[in-house]
Amino acid sequence: MESASLPTQDLGRRRRATSVLTSDVVLGALGILSFAALWWYGHQKTTFVPSFGEVLDAVPSFLTEEAIWPDIFASTTRVVGALALACVVGFLAALLMARGRFWGLVTARYVDLALGLPSTIAALLALFIFKRSEVGVFVVVAIATFPFIALTLRQGFLSANKQLDDMADVYRFRPLMRVRNVFLPHLVPYSLAAIRNEYAHAWRVVVLAELFAVNSGIGWRFAQAFDRFQLVEVALWLLTFMVVLLGSEYLILRPVEKWALRWRGDA
Amino acid sequence: MSPGFIHVEGLQVSYDGDRLAVAGIDMDVGEGDFVAVLGPSGCGKSTLLQVLSGLLKPVAGKATIAGTDVTRNGGGADRDPRVGYVFQDHRLLPWRTVAQNIELVLAAARVPRDEWDARIERLLAMLQISQFKDSWPMRLSGGQRQRVSIARALAIDPAVVLMDEPFSTLDEVTGRLLRQQLVELWQQQRRAIVFVTHSIREAIFLADRIVILTKGPARVLETLQVPIERPRQYEDPAITELESEIVDRVMSAWGYEQDAGHVKTPPVGSS
Amino acid sequence: MSTSAATLPSARRLVSPELVRRALALVTAVLLALAAWQLGTWISDGWIPSLGAIWTDIVAALGSGETWSDMAITSKRILIAFFASTAIGIVIGFAMGLSRIAEGYFRPLIVMGLAIPDPVYVIVAILVLGTEESSGIIALTLALVPFVVTIVHSAVRARERQLDEMSRVYRLSRGRYLTEVIGRQIAPALLAAARTSFAFAWKIVVLVEALSQPTGIGSAIYEAFRLLDAAEMIALALIFIVVMRVVDAVVFGALERRLLAWSR
Repeated sequence: MESASLPTQDLGRRRRATSVLTSDVVLGALGILSFAALWWYGHQKTTFVPSFGEVLDAVPSFLTEEAIWPDIFASTTRVVGALALACVVGFLAALLMARGRFWGLVTARYVDLALGLPSTIAALLALFIFKRSEVGVFVVVAIATFPFIALTLRQGFLSANKQLDDMADVYRFRPLMRVRNVFLPHLVPYSLAAIRNEYAHAWRVVVLAELFAVNSGIGWRFAQAFDRFQLVEVALWLLTFMVVLLGSEYLILRPVEKWALRWRGDA
Repeated sequence: MSPGFIHVEGLQVSYDGDRLAVAGIDMDVGEGDFVAVLGPSGCGKSTLLQVLSGLLKPVAGKATIAGTDVTRNGGGADRDPRVGYVFQDHRLLPWRTVAQNIELVLAAARVPRDEWDARIERLLAMLQISQFKDSWPMRLSGGQRQRVSIARALAIDPAVVLMDEPFSTLDEVTGRLLRQQLVELWQQQRRAIVFVTHSIREAIFLADRIVILTKGPARVLETLQVPIERPRQYEDPAITELESEIVDRVMSAWGYEQDAGHVKTPPVGSS
Repeated sequence: MSTSAATLPSARRLVSPELVRRALALVTAVLLALAAWQLGTWISDGWIPSLGAIWTDIVAALGSGETWSDMAITSKRILIAFFASTAIGIVIGFAMGLSRIAEGYFRPLIVMGLAIPDPVYVIVAILVLGTEESSGIIALTLALVPFVVTIVHSAVRARERQLDEMSRVYRLSRGRYLTEVIGRQIAPALLAAARTSFAFAWKIVVLVEALSQPTGIGSAIYEAFRLLDAAEMIALALIFIVVMRVVDAVVFGALERRLLAWSR
């Protein structure tokens, strides 16, 4: 990648070692500070935008408030459950799209439909059909996420590795052995990519679904704060949401992905 | 000549039902023979191996190993003669360690589990890669991966080892080391080896007998014994001499014209 | 399959077997879905509106001027947010791709932006800026920018470095470099980013309108919902979705063909 011959065109790119001022951490902090400055400006200009300090002050009492944890837990279970459902449906859809000639095309139409369905409309529809039950939320999130999983896995199926298949033929691998050792492991990178993307997506849709359809969870809390014009609460729940999402993504998902792909060497 | 351990008669193979990749090959390989199959690129020599390993079915002719017809899906893994195959591109499962890769073929060949460890240790030692037993294939060099591939092929105690240009992607030094190792292994174990290559020198160095194929669709051009005694040196002048002889003989057959020492390449559109 | 083209006489085939199969699949998919829906109506004892009721509402809505003026209002919002977010996103994405400094600076903001649920953008915009039209559009734009940035950023980063060197050697001007060398390489990604932005825009605008605006198709849908008139809600939703998808296919499909002709 790096060329040893000519110095690459340097449109502002500097070597990291040369200056602390340009390290990623400092720059990132500057970015966040800019946002904070904007916030501060908003606080100065209006009466109802809370200052950063106000929000921070509210954190300890927020965290010790018992009632927040069931809502966080509820949202988490919905995300995980719906994602699991989406994985199953997505896998089946991908299999059909990759292998089934006619039914694959039919399935593709449904995947297409799900891709093109605004989540808000799905949420309202689910709320109408399922009233205020958990099922509605699960359905909405699953419908929103399964098409992406299906499309990614379909890529995986289509890119099946003929050379390894031939090797399995020559050494007379039995069908079960092939599936476990050649077919499934080949899909792992695709599955992990799909899950990582859709995990974040699922969290965003869960909040939306909860906003409309149920009386618990983080989305519901946002709705409450909105109704009561409580910007501090909105800020607190936003922080909570981001901590949970980004935390679980970086502390759980990425390490798992790294472990599952550890055979890749330094690719 | 009585039918050999590997017996190929009138073999014709086609890829797509239209054109033949192999237009008629007869070949016999004795039980401990090292036979090289030599041909230009794209002539169908790999196809021969694919038939022998059961990957492809011929449109005509027959092929047997130890009397069993390999072109038929016979009694399954139990009755099929065990075939070890070393591909040009190692074809190790990248998501399994070296030892696991070998275990898989052992399991597929129904080798009893209690023998696995011993076999793996022994083979890795023979190929001098014991230290990579628990490594991921992607962390190994090309030469090391090919050694694993060879170890895998030998682990199942095959009747025959089929090798499809296994050293052609390796650098010169590694290639020479592995050729040497292969000959030594063969001399210890005396298995039948069918070694496909496009390198004349490699064929002469390694094999007892060379089957030279024509340009595609392949037929046997000639078969010759390699009269040079073992152990052979890769740089041996005797090898060089034989190499030039063969070059002269195959030039026109492979579509090259020789004119006062300059080689004219074949016109565009052939091969 | 492969022999069909070879064995056909030279007369041009208007309808290939592939096209027939696809059309048949579409018809099957639609029929199955309709059947399943009708089953739902039957199971839920009419709670789920019947196909007939929905169809009636569709026809009525198509004929009503109100529907179309709502569509116009919503479309205007979509277009504003689309153009704004695409423009901003491309600028930031380019900057991040070409400059390590810009990348470091914007990275955390973009990561956070991607992690913020769409409703929150709307909620905060309304609480801070009030319920005017503009706050909704601003929220929509802000929600879209991180996605556009991500696509453009990775495309610019994935460019061929060798072409950078070539530009240096031949002393191409900055403008030339940006348009000819980089622009052409990432044109497909720019198109993809725009298309994504549009796709998200029309989906999220429904949320924006449901939460905050008294006009527009999204709010009409939400109103129908609140009145428990599912048939009307579905009818409007269907009309909206179909129109948007047709626009997407026609506009972006055509753009894709024209702009990317060189890469085929």
